[in-house]
Amino acid sequence: MKQRLFCILGLLLIVMPLGLMVACTKGESTTPAPQVQSTPSVPQVLRANLDGEPATIDPNRASWSRERTVIMQVFQGLLGFNQDLTLKPVVAREIPSVSNGGISADGKTYTFKLRPEVTWSDGKKVTANDFEYSIKRLLSPDLAAQYASFYFDIAGGKDYFGSAKKDDAARTQLRSTVAVKAVDASTLQITLAQPRPTFLQIMALWPAYPLREDIISKFGDKWTEPPNYIGNGPFMLTEWVHQDHLVLKANPNYWGTKPRLSEFQLKMITDANAELAAYKNNELDMSRVPPGTEKAVMADPVISKEILRFPELTTFAFQFNVTRPPFDNVKLRQALATAIDRVAFVDKVRNGVGKPALSWVPPGMPGYDPNLGKEYEFNVAKAKQLLTEAGYPDSSKLPELKFQYSDTAGNRLIAQFLQGQLKDNLGVNLTLEPMESKAFTQFVNQEKHTWAWFGWGADYPDPDNWLPELFGTKAGNNHTVYSNPKFDALAKQAKSELDNAKRLQMWAEAQKMVMADTPIATMFYRERFILVKPTVKGIKTTGMDGQVTGDLFLTEINLTK
Amino acid sequence: MLWLIPVLFVVAFITFSLMHLVPGGPWDQEKQLAPQVVENLNRKYNLDKPFIVQFGNFLWNAVRGDLGVSYSYQDKGVTQILLSGLPKTAGLGVTAFLIAIIIGIPLGIAAALKQNSTVDYISVFFSTLFANIPGFVIGILFIILFSVTLHVLPTGGWGSIKQVIMPAVALAALPAAYIARVTRASMLEVKHQDYIRTAQAKGLASRVIIIRHMLRNALIPVMTIAGPELAALVTGSFIIESLFSIPGIGRLFVQGVFARDYGLIMGTILFYAFAVALVNLIVDILYAVVDPRIRYE
Repeated sequence: MKQRLFCILGLLLIVMPLGLMVACTKGESTTPAPQVQSTPSVPQVLRANLDGEPATIDPNRASWSRERTVIMQVFQGLLGFNQDLTLKPVVAREIPSVSNGGISADGKTYTFKLRPEVTWSDGKKVTANDFEYSIKRLLSPDLAAQYASFYFDIAGGKDYFGSAKKDDAARTQLRSTVAVKAVDASTLQITLAQPRPTFLQIMALWPAYPLREDIISKFGDKWTEPPNYIGNGPFMLTEWVHQDHLVLKANPNYWGTKPRLSEFQLKMITDANAELAAYKNNELDMSRVPPGTEKAVMADPVISKEILRFPELTTFAFQFNVTRPPFDNVKLRQALATAIDRVAFVDKVRNGVGKPALSWVPPGMPGYDPNLGKEYEFNVAKAKQLLTEAGYPDSSKLPELKFQYSDTAGNRLIAQFLQGQLKDNLGVNLTLEPMESKAFTQFVNQEKHTWAWFGWGADYPDPDNWLPELFGTKAGNNHTVYSNPKFDALAKQAKSELDNAKRLQMWAEAQKMVMADTPIATMFYRERFILVKPTVKGIKTTGMDGQVTGDLFLTEINLTK
Repeated sequence: MLWLIPVLFVVAFITFSLMHLVPGGPWDQEKQLAPQVVENLNRKYNLDKPFIVQFGNFLWNAVRGDLGVSYSYQDKGVTQILLSGLPKTAGLGVTAFLIAIIIGIPLGIAAALKQNSTVDYISVFFSTLFANIPGFVIGILFIILFSVTLHVLPTGGWGSIKQVIMPAVALAALPAAYIARVTRASMLEVKHQDYIRTAQAKGLASRVIIIRHMLRNALIPVMTIAGPELAALVTGSFIIESLFSIPGIGRLFVQGVFARDYGLIMGTILFYAFAVALVNLIVDILYAVVDPRIRYE
């Protein structure tokens, strides 16, 4: 008797879900969520997702977009970005310039005047001391902040950062020589070691946000936990359940135009499929889409209406190691660049999301040149011609070409596509060498690669961030080992040229040099592809968004029925 | 219990060595950091000290309960991360284990007692089926069915009963299948033993025979596999936890390895080693309870 009961129970537990699964209709029929009682006003709660737990939300130490999404709501800096990526004054009364006396004639001294009404969420006034403290903390050797190097133009900054091995007295002395000074409560003065016209853009970035010395001294590492995490921005961090979710509520004491949202909830679903399922189950208002499913989403009758796409400031390219034969041959590199069908790449490998790239600096950034790089447009005959000019009229005589990449599902597709293209268009065989992610990164950073895939996203919207770092001789992120003294000279000039028109002209010339020498073969500009519920209104997308689309202008978003 | 210490030491040493030998370090990123930044980071986390000093520091701190700091979660201690994630992972693991036992053992018993009947065939079919469908697939199917289509269960997270059901069942599928198979096989073996024939000849009720004589003997092999299964479930499944966004420790180890987060890797490895050793110890003790032939000095 008992065993029969056991049998029946056990079988029921197994048969029931299977039966249900078979009985339910297949396909993407998204039945509308159970209707909420229609209230007269829609709760202004936006629910979005981060793809994981933020490593740190300390503005000085943060470096990933996930972290920026949170930081940008709770803190605000002296300057910020408009939607067209021009600068706007935020905590500062106006953008310093030579004409208003904010920048000295030699371009080295910047004076920021703060608005008097800016307050922290606990009511205290934001002063220039808060900025001085924050920048000096950013440059402190013990904090080891990853973005500290961006602020090395500040006189004394680099030396202070490098003083880890010195004793306390020397360190304190070096700290006091860092040329950031709160002249009075509402005036901040910064002196640079050499002129750097893009310094204002760097001051709009999050590592220079003001911080509260009293809070950080009191709570130490715990200062980033609510309720200690006090900022001067439109939102406050009210809840953080680690690895699970974050809740930001509108700051009732906000000194500026209050946000239209009352709450911003961030979940931490790491799996893209689970995130999409949550979106379909009405648990999220915005969601990314699992890579590779973009075409299916575009074909779906219901959710295809909820797609939001916009271009990022990100370019992907193949980088050659120009010191390794046969890639030391510029004609060969050009032949390879011309032999790849970028349109097919975007269509097949990226599912139609993104734009083919013929030059390095992406559209949306000053310095983008739509006419540059046309000579590398896909052309099989030309590619073969270039190959002959390179000294390989017979493609079978080419030495073995190897391609290294980080072994992820997406990269495998790219590698196979490349292999197919070279075989079909040039008759060249490509050996694929997948590697583990970090191992690959180290491999490339040590310039052991021959030919590798890579991408670059803007830290700030200026060619200053896109050219010297990557193509200057022995520059930190130059792994093509490209070295052109003419480029270096031009870059040096452009970096400190105070006339903006002239400066951009110089960078345009510099980019032309790089494209002609082809240390890289650009492939595509990335585009964001997300789903947004029709109830979410007022999203303003920019190229400087954090991980959640529209988070740079979150105050403008509101929800309707 | 004393043998636990050398075991943990060896595990720690091997992991520590491998971790530092593997190419790629915690600061290797596509957008390479400035060399001064890397230098300061290495100094901050003592990565510029010789290997023996680093290992020594780690052991010294571990013994006092401080498993170090995570590089991926910069302000948190590893011990704290493990302690906050453990209840969730363990909760999920134990729930899945109980489901696996409640389904697996009765199914196996029923199949063995009614060998070659319909019940037996269905039981074998289902245990083979669920032993081969990956938990990830079952999980996704559940989400599509119960969340996206029927809207009766949330897609993930942790805290309510509704959120436990899908991950626990998805996680329990494989162990349930496995336990059913082993129970069936072991019951069959016991069923044909002489002492069972004796008990039947003596005229004992079948219920008494099954429970008092067959089960106790048949369950010994089941316990052998159930122990490690429980250890595996408690240490967490990376895939299920990622899919259902469960803030436990299952995800941490794999994420730590990919990020070369030395602190997190060492902490989780030690924890795993300890959990497995502990569970094996419990299983050994249970043997002594269940099988009178086994006695320890």
